[in-house]
Amino acid sequence: MTDLKESRMPLQTSPIQTSRGERWKEIATRQETLLLAVFAVMVLIFSLINPRYFSTAAFGNILQDFGPVMLMAIGQTFVIITGGIDLSVGAVLGLSGVSAALAIRATTESGMDPMLSITVGVATALAVGVLVGIINGLLITRVKLAPFIATLATMGACMGTTLVVTGGVQIAGAPREVVLIGNTRFFDIITIPLIVVFVALIIAWLALSRTRFGRWTYAIGSNGFAARVAGINVNKHLMKVYALTGLLAAIAGLFVYFRLGSGSPASGRGGELQSIAAAVIGGISLMGGVGRVTGVMLGALITASVLSGLILIGVEPNAQQIVVGALIAFAVAVQSIGRNRN
Amino acid sequence: MNTQPVYQARGITKKYGNVVALDNVDFQVSAGEVVGLVGDNGAGKSTLVKVLSGAHKPDAGELLLDGERVEWDSPHDALEGGIETLYQDSSLAPDLTVSANLYLGRELLAPGFWGKLGFLANKRMDEAARLELEKVGIAVPSSSRSVAKLSGGQRQAVGIGRAVAWANKVIILDEPTNHLGARQSAEVLEVIKQAREKGLAVIFISHTLPHVLEVTDRIVVMRLGRIAADAPTSTFTPDSLVKSITGLDQLAG
Ligand SMILES: Nc1ncnc2c1ncn2[C@@H]1O[C@H](COP(=O)(O)OP(=O)(O)OP(=O)(O)O)[C@@H](O)[C@H]1O
Ligand SMILES: [Mg+2]
Repeated sequence: MTDLKESRMPLQTSPIQTSRGERWKEIATRQETLLLAVFAVMVLIFSLINPRYFSTAAFGNILQDFGPVMLMAIGQTFVIITGGIDLSVGAVLGLSGVSAALAIRATTESGMDPMLSITVGVATALAVGVLVGIINGLLITRVKLAPFIATLATMGACMGTTLVVTGGVQIAGAPREVVLIGNTRFFDIITIPLIVVFVALIIAWLALSRTRFGRWTYAIGSNGFAARVAGINVNKHLMKVYALTGLLAAIAGLFVYFRLGSGSPASGRGGELQSIAAAVIGGISLMGGVGRVTGVMLGALITASVLSGLILIGVEPNAQQIVVGALIAFAVAVQSIGRNRN
Repeated sequence: MNTQPVYQARGITKKYGNVVALDNVDFQVSAGEVVGLVGDNGAGKSTLVKVLSGAHKPDAGELLLDGERVEWDSPHDALEGGIETLYQDSSLAPDLTVSANLYLGRELLAPGFWGKLGFLANKRMDEAARLELEKVGIAVPSSSRSVAKLSGGQRQAVGIGRAVAWANKVIILDEPTNHLGARQSAEVLEVIKQAREKGLAVIFISHTLPHVLEVTDRIVVMRLGRIAADAPTSTFTPDSLVKSITGLDQLAG
């Protein structure tokens, strides 16, 4: 027996003592701190090139870009943590935006009360998003397609549907209330859609870090076999995650629709790249199992300010994708260097 | 062993494509009994484990728990039935903490309103995980540390602790002494004996024959997906066990 007692020794290590210096070092090397520094440097550079960048109004504009990117990135975060990816978020943004526009135009033309018509439009958009998410989930869990392929297929299908139902033109004719809801600014920067984004952000942060739903999301990405044999219904959980991502992309579609007051078939183009960029810049590992919402929030902020910064310094919109693609490559490279050093 | 087996498999066949991993296998284990499952690499031991634990559905055959026919649609069902398994390929999530792994799939929720929303009781789980691992006699640094930061042996210890902590009928350990030094292996054997004393049925798989001869009551030998021998441990010598595993006993006739 003494023999056995002794045998426990090698399995034990002394508790880690954290001194105050180490604590500061920990905070300084935290991903979020680094991201904040990157963000500050970027704002500085853009402001030096064009002083207009550093004004409340400009910051308000950054937040307008930040909103949809953030919503898509939240969904992307959940999906990537499970070890998957969702390429359809941008296309879902576009499709749900024009769905809302078409529903609202049709109902107001038939004489429906504007607020009721807006409610119908919102419900339509959300249903479209959830439906695409469910299709993604079914393709992945039942048909056993790789997430990359499944969501590439729905991305194509959604883009096609958007062009077919709109004929490739903007859907205008929204009641005045739409623009009012979308653009009334409090304190020069906050809008109602932005409040929705921040509520979504807080819920996502709590869900991922504090709840069983989040725990299972990490577990599936960390070791899918372990999650399954621990009794977790992995397929059911993945269905929920993809449906949630579709829902968030639809909210992003509404965000853009309410801001513009019309449904544009071009909305959401590049959304998959932007949301993946926000997630990986924010420290979400494409291998799954790792990452935090707080990081992704900063990742989305950086992505959005790059987008508005580029416009402000005169880079043509089509070149933005190049920059976003480069950002993804850079962030993933930094991650893998960090992993190798550990 | 005249007692009714607590868990029994009859005529189990399992194919992977063309490979017949299990061919009409009968297997049983009783409460308070330790059965050793041995055989060469690829003999089908882990496949049998996965059928018993509900991770795989057999192509033919039936399972009986306490004499009643059961059918596992998922590992979850087998866990509910009181069957815990340590798999040969890691069944831990490396990015989660020790206690998160111990409670994976069975998380404790916060009391009241927040619990209804799915909020976790992390402190309670950390504390209980520490006590549970201590009870088993396996010390692991901190239960709030992520499993990726543990040594191979410590990880194995967490896996064993998890299985022992939750089992209430059958515990299946597929090569639990993998990655372990001599002393920790001795400790695992002690854990197995404790489980038997608690009245659990234990299935112990290992390539380390002295361990198998030391701790088991009965040994089942598998060869090429079939049961080659099934007899009380006392009837085997180290030599005859090796012969049975390799099939030399049959050549000698
Ligand atoms: N997932 C799988 N797909 C295809 N074939 C498999 C799979 N798992 C096992 N096999 C095959 O089934 C047979 C039995 O494998 P199994 O893992 O059960 O052996 P084992 O007795 O546990 O061996 P070891 O001692 O090496 O762990 C082998 O021929 C193996 O190649
Ligand atoms: Mg095996």
